[in-house]
Amino acid sequence: MGTEKVPSSIIQFASLDKLLALGRANSLWPMTFGLACCAIEMMAAGAGRFDLARFGAEVFRPSPRQSDVMIVAGTITKKMAPAVKTLYDQMAEPKWVIAMGNCAISGGPFKFDKNYSVVEGADQFLPVDVYIPGCPPRPEALIEGILVLEEKITGKRRWPRVVPT
Amino acid sequence: MSILRETKWALLELFPEQKAGEADAEKAAREKAKADALAKIEAEAKAKAEAEAKAKAKSEGKEGEAASSDSPKKPSKVQETAAESASVDLAAKVKGEAAKQAAPVEEIEEPESDEPPISLEPEGARPYGVMVRSYAARGYHLDVFCAPDQVVAAAELLDGAGFSLEAVTGVDWIKEEQLEVVYDYNRTDGQLCRVAVRTRVPRSAPEVPTVSHIFSGANWHERETHEFFGIVFQGHPYLVPLLLPEDADFHPLLKDFTP
Amino acid sequence: MTVPIQCAPDETFVLNLGPQHPATHGVLRVKLTMDGEYVVKAEPVLGYIHRMHEKMAESGTFAQFMGNTPRMDYLSALSYNQGYVMAVERAAGIQVPERAEYIRTITVELNRISSHLLWFGAFVLDLGGFTPLLYAFDDREKILDLLEHVTGSRLTYCYYRFGGVYNDIDDDFITGTRAFIKRLRSRLPSQYHDLVTGNIILIKRLKDIGIISQEICRKYGATGPVLRGSGIKYDVRRNEPYSIYPELKFDIPCYKECDSMARYMVRMDEIEQSLRIIEQALDKLPGGPVQAKVPKTLKPAAVDCYANVEAARGSFGCRLVCDGDKGPYRLKLRSPTYSNLSLFGEVAEGMLLADALAFMGSLDLVIPEIDR
Repeated sequence: MGTEKVPSSIIQFASLDKLLALGRANSLWPMTFGLACCAIEMMAAGAGRFDLARFGAEVFRPSPRQSDVMIVAGTITKKMAPAVKTLYDQMAEPKWVIAMGNCAISGGPFKFDKNYSVVEGADQFLPVDVYIPGCPPRPEALIEGILVLEEKITGKRRWPRVVPT
Repeated sequence: MSILRETKWALLELFPEQKAGEADAEKAAREKAKADALAKIEAEAKAKAEAEAKAKAKSEGKEGEAASSDSPKKPSKVQETAAESASVDLAAKVKGEAAKQAAPVEEIEEPESDEPPISLEPEGARPYGVMVRSYAARGYHLDVFCAPDQVVAAAELLDGAGFSLEAVTGVDWIKEEQLEVVYDYNRTDGQLCRVAVRTRVPRSAPEVPTVSHIFSGANWHERETHEFFGIVFQGHPYLVPLLLPEDADFHPLLKDFTP
Repeated sequence: MTVPIQCAPDETFVLNLGPQHPATHGVLRVKLTMDGEYVVKAEPVLGYIHRMHEKMAESGTFAQFMGNTPRMDYLSALSYNQGYVMAVERAAGIQVPERAEYIRTITVELNRISSHLLWFGAFVLDLGGFTPLLYAFDDREKILDLLEHVTGSRLTYCYYRFGGVYNDIDDDFITGTRAFIKRLRSRLPSQYHDLVTGNIILIKRLKDIGIISQEICRKYGATGPVLRGSGIKYDVRRNEPYSIYPELKFDIPCYKECDSMARYMVRMDEIEQSLRIIEQALDKLPGGPVQAKVPKTLKPAAVDCYANVEAARGSFGCRLVCDGDKGPYRLKLRSPTYSNLSLFGEVAEGMLLADALAFMGSLDLVIPEIDR
């Protein structure tokens, strides 16, 4: 008897966690949540030219209960911070936070010695997963941020990394 | 009357002293201009008349000379009377012409001085009153400085004249221990006239009456000025912070504010 | 307007719209007292994006504040650039070279179109139509590319300098702009007017909704398309001419209906007029320098001056108070939507909730500009 060649099975075993992670990573639903200038670039990323739908992240949900990822796009002020916190608390687990733009990272251009209104960074009260620098970041940068978040969820990068030449 | 002049005189109602002074000055200036114009015209006319009279006299004299061969005595008299009558006629004519010319001059004169001249900077502290500013340098035409309790009267006046309120601004003059409130008025009917009404209150007791019952838009502007500078607008229906959190008890745009 | 009573007077309820709501275009909050579906009282609550621009102006030099101006109204950033540099130029007595004025006009009008296009997309999205947003963004991206080419940024342009502009425009920009004018002219009738303006749903949602009388406009100090939609032909570019606008031929669109549809039409017509302005300015573009000689540190005399420009949303004013130092002593930014929104409460009374939102969309709000 010769050796029998067993073709690789079409059914692959994996832990449920990994499968779920794959599903989640490929359909990240962001929340429609614009604070300032960055929100316009977020809209541009969702529109025809940059087309966030290619990465499964175009389904902007107006309700926090239906969304997976909160893109903090803009400046958080002290008056707005409790509302942002409430929105984050209302999101269902698992949930992620992307800090888009310098304001959400550190207060950006609005950090100065007499600051009385701006919260210096979303990470002061939210667990931020991905930081996207820029003022505002280009739509390409937001797409890269989504890809990095996918990588964080699945452990694998599905898109080649663009290396600047 | 131009809108600028009209508004200036309307606003001068608030400052009787300046108005009397300005009215006198303007009257004097106008009379002087009128007198000057008249004198100029009369002088010109006189010179012209004299020249004409001379020319006429000369020509008549020549005629007379030509006729004088018959009777040397008579023509000379004729010549004299002719010259006299001619000059009298001419004088009357000239006077009439001068009067005729003077009448339109009076009409033209009004628009000439219609745009009020730019006011000079006062020496020392500025008194209450209306100043005309150079639009090219400042971006507004009339600059009114009034007592805090005149703000409402100014707003009523400008409201009646069809102005709209563009903004209310506070300025903290910490060295002089004063807070300034500036009201910017503008027109949207095609006539260009910007008015800035300003008043100053002591920093220790910053109280200005509200104009929100006259211009509804002032409601928000005054709330904003209140929260940023702590200026209390007396009679405002709802003086709570607008941009700052509702419980904010600080006034961030004061110069001595520290967070 | 007689409002059918839906519940007893003591049974009204408060509906909190925002600060995070898709229809408020940002972080505006409106406290609505409702009687069933009808608005009894609407009270906008501001300040959720108050970013201290006026305080920051006082703590830096004149040039340091330049970066703040585009972040106030990021949709028509160049108008805000222009308003601020005009105020400083007026205070310091700086003359701007002619070519720089032409470049300013071309770029600011391109920016106005991009702002109106975004408003168009977002407004129709408010009313339930998603597709026009994609068309509007398609054209808008063309403008962003053109402006990125000269200014270096996509959205928050900081292009003007005291006494000129940062960068001269080149032939690529000029040919690109001409091509864009041609493209938008061909697309406006078919992709915008045929698809949206004549749409019966849009007309039913906008006609006779949100009537703003001329007296309300005056009392609240409304400007821009809101004022022109109420039949008052006021435009700072025409009524208080600045830059090179007196040399250009353009019309001021004006509609007498006072409703949301009138404001919609004013903005759509303004896109065409802006194209006209750009075309003429490109034809007349003179040569020469684009930057006047200006000292590195400006120190204007103690003066209090005011400069106004027509931004995409109305008259933007800068009151600049100098005390002879290197920076503004006080800078008041008079933003147009602040006044335009302040009339919302009075006009929205008695409206259906859905109509109130359509009306709010027609005001073209940019919240960071209101809160500053």
